[in-house]
Amino acid sequence: MTEVLHPRPNPIVAAMYTLRDLEAEVVVMHGPAGCGFMASRRLEEAGVRVVTTGMREGDLIFGAEEKLVRVLAQVEQEFHPRLVGIVGTCASMIIGENLDSAIKKAGLKAKVLAVDTHGCAGPNTSGAIRTLEVAAQQGVISQEEYLRQKEMLTRATLIEADRGLTSRRYLEPHPGATKLSVALEIVRALRQGKRVSVTLNAKKETAFGFADVMRAVEYARSRVGGETLHLGNLSTEIGLPRIRRYAREIQRDLKEADVELALITGGLDEYPVAGERAARFLERERADLRIFAGLPHAVPGITPEDILVTDQPRELRNYIDRGFAKSVGEINTHAMVMSAHGILKNELGETIRQIVDGGMA
Amino acid sequence: MRQIAIYGKGGIGKSTISANVAAALAEKGLITWYVGCDPKSDGSMTLLRGQRAQAFLEMMKGTGQGKPYEVAVGYGGVRCVEVGGPLAGVGCAGRGIIVAVQALSKDHFSKENIDVIIYDVPGDVVCGGFAAPLRERYADEVYIVTSGEYLSLYAANNIAKGLRNLNVKLGGIICNSREVEGERNVVAEFASQIGTRMIAFIPRDPVVRECENQGMTVIECAPASAQASAYRSLAEAMMRNKDFALPRPMEPEDIRALLRGSMA
Ligand code: SF4
Repeated sequence: MTEVLHPRPNPIVAAMYTLRDLEAEVVVMHGPAGCGFMASRRLEEAGVRVVTTGMREGDLIFGAEEKLVRVLAQVEQEFHPRLVGIVGTCASMIIGENLDSAIKKAGLKAKVLAVDTHGCAGPNTSGAIRTLEVAAQQGVISQEEYLRQKEMLTRATLIEADRGLTSRRYLEPHPGATKLSVALEIVRALRQGKRVSVTLNAKKETAFGFADVMRAVEYARSRVGGETLHLGNLSTEIGLPRIRRYAREIQRDLKEADVELALITGGLDEYPVAGERAARFLERERADLRIFAGLPHAVPGITPEDILVTDQPRELRNYIDRGFAKSVGEINTHAMVMSAHGILKNELGETIRQIVDGGMA
Repeated sequence: MRQIAIYGKGGIGKSTISANVAAALAEKGLITWYVGCDPKSDGSMTLLRGQRAQAFLEMMKGTGQGKPYEVAVGYGGVRCVEVGGPLAGVGCAGRGIIVAVQALSKDHFSKENIDVIIYDVPGDVVCGGFAAPLRERYADEVYIVTSGEYLSLYAANNIAKGLRNLNVKLGGIICNSREVEGERNVVAEFASQIGTRMIAFIPRDPVVRECENQGMTVIECAPASAQASAYRSLAEAMMRNKDFALPRPMEPEDIRALLRGSMA
């Protein structure tokens, strides 16, 4: 196994995101006030209330069960939630806090999912898996749904270790190729009557940010000619209700932009397998220029001729070092998508539109 | 499946009692597990003819998790697990117990056919880790080992406090005799004051050391001795026991008063 040095997401944050997907209204972090702070902010933008028990030195020594009980009672009083998640942290798990006992003592009306994970528990996906396991035990999701998602998350971990963020010891952030160079190539290809494919293989809400490439390419085709082929993991039948909602909203906006999907490769929480389905489809379908947006490395068979669009500077470094020179970054995607209810314009999309409208290329 | 935790002051003889009880239960044909929770990992030695069981946490180390754990099989088929843990002054033994007990429960206790698990827990319920075996799905019965000496009674009383906090029931007090005066009465009185009873009085006998030096339990090494029958009747009393109560710890002052009374 590679010893990875660069920072990467942790199980605590993955648990928080998964609780959001399960539509928990409140997430209680049982730990130091700053733990998961940046992620908490994002989640609050998505409408989740994140509170902390704010453990202090003394709580490490003496335990903070009473604090947790108090916070839970307050949460009920203030927010009247139906579903509450408690996420453990390194601090609470090392000292062996008994989350279940605190829940019992707090006597909430709400259903509470206690996720006993922490920062040292393994890959970030382990926090998501633990959350889903607890949700299945509590009857919030079915056992089948739990097993399906667990399988996806386990595969995602393998893909990351094989060709993604955890495949290299250290990845230095890279800004990626310029959008102009890539957009020019796309518009030129269309102008020459070529066939351009856009494959969306995105993870959950980030699809709001990446799907704009499809709209922009379709727009360019309507102006300059050529042919397009769109496919993506946008099934409205797979995943938790919240995730299906994302797919519905994206499909609605694509339709409005006259984007026709030639293939739906899977659900928005299925990027590891959806990537494989996309690859099989693209083997049969000819395309002169191929664009992959979201997590391109999860699509087997991408080549250095392809255009890759992703959102993480370290991912860009990973792609560029592997010879994918035409990798561009939509660095702001994650910050913008949290409260989205429709496709957001992205930079590559806007560049394509500008080129078409301004008559460049 | 009975899941029994044995607590008591360090050095009071918990491991000897736990190992001998495990041996006595196995002799009766029960599928018995001995789980030693001391980082030193030497509790099961007498069940294993002086051999050391591989420490569970050592096995986990480095791999993070995963590899199947080879459970050592000792006298009468007792499955011996030593949790292990950090060197003195390093890391956190309590966390080690939490992790090991969770993993053992997932990989073994919930899958295998087991009659009794005995947890030999070090010292005192001092932190979340040492209380781990008492978490709902693990040990649900507790016995406290003490002698008639003030410090062991004091520790026993502290453990009783821990149990009360954790809402765990106590099955009784085991007196491991130090041959102090009036010991039987003092311990019986202490037990009744905290709301339980003395379930056994284990006499002090040099045979225990002799057997230990040979790397065996008394049950194996001196099966016909009076000491062996003391352990056997304790094991039987535990199996028959239906008397469990939440303890009512005493004030240290009252323990001293109790001891003074026994002197008079
Ligand atoms: S060390 Fe663990 S508990 Fe502390 S802030 Fe980091 S993730 Fe949170």
